[in-house]
Amino acid sequence: MTEKNHITCRDTTWLVSDERERELTADERMLLEKHIIGCSRCRAAKRQFEIMFSGITRYLGKS
Amino acid sequence: MIVTVEPVLAQEISAQRPYLYRIALLQLRDESSAEDATQEALMAALEGAHRFEGRSSLRTWLVSILRYKVIDSLRNRAKCQTSLSSDEYEGDPFDVLFDDRGQWLQPMSNWGDPAETAERNEFMRVLEACLTRLPTRSARAFLMREWLEFDPEDVCQELEITTGNLRVLLYRARMQLRLCLDHTWN
Repeated sequence: MTEKNHITCRDTTWLVSDERERELTADERMLLEKHIIGCSRCRAAKRQFEIMFSGITRYLGKS
Repeated sequence: MIVTVEPVLAQEISAQRPYLYRIALLQLRDESSAEDATQEALMAALEGAHRFEGRSSLRTWLVSILRYKVIDSLRNRAKCQTSLSSDEYEGDPFDVLFDDRGQWLQPMSNWGDPAETAERNEFMRVLEACLTRLPTRSARAFLMREWLEFDPEDVCQELEITTGNLRVLLYRARMQLRLCLDHTWN
């Protein structure tokens, strides 16, 4: 397998979803953080996902 | 049976019926099962109202009772779903969001801070509307994980899908919710 040293915006959306299901591997975390540091759209999208997840938690009476 | 509940508390419990029903329906996708689960949860709440100590919010307490009733309902339900045609998992409905190098085509909008402001109830209303618009199977898988806290294996068994299918369903549910919120909230 070739080593990946970068991921796309689209890949980050998969990781953000997977992160809600399981712990990411060290490599995945590194790739995600590296991408997000350099990408303002993904930073904003991640913020939207966080608002959405906390809204869902609240809607389901969990907070 | 004699139920001794403070009338005010009994009223507050009953007033949550529509909210509880909507959540049950999101998960069960069947009106009569959702009615039954809601009714059973309300009855259990009224019977156990003396145990409600106000440490959590009333809603939180009621939703936790409803959760058990919904799980019972799923367990008792005969599995009669047809298996999925594989093309339900082929293609990706989010192609339009990205260019061919996988980069976002549009800048992201700023949603503000709806959890912390006066807009909170409005945001919850929009979120609920978006949840109801999810495709049945995505919504059910999503709520089994987020609400019922089923293990992934149990969700797969319940919906008769593979773990790969589940990953796709959950991804789509989250992407679609974000997109719906983005369209409606801004």
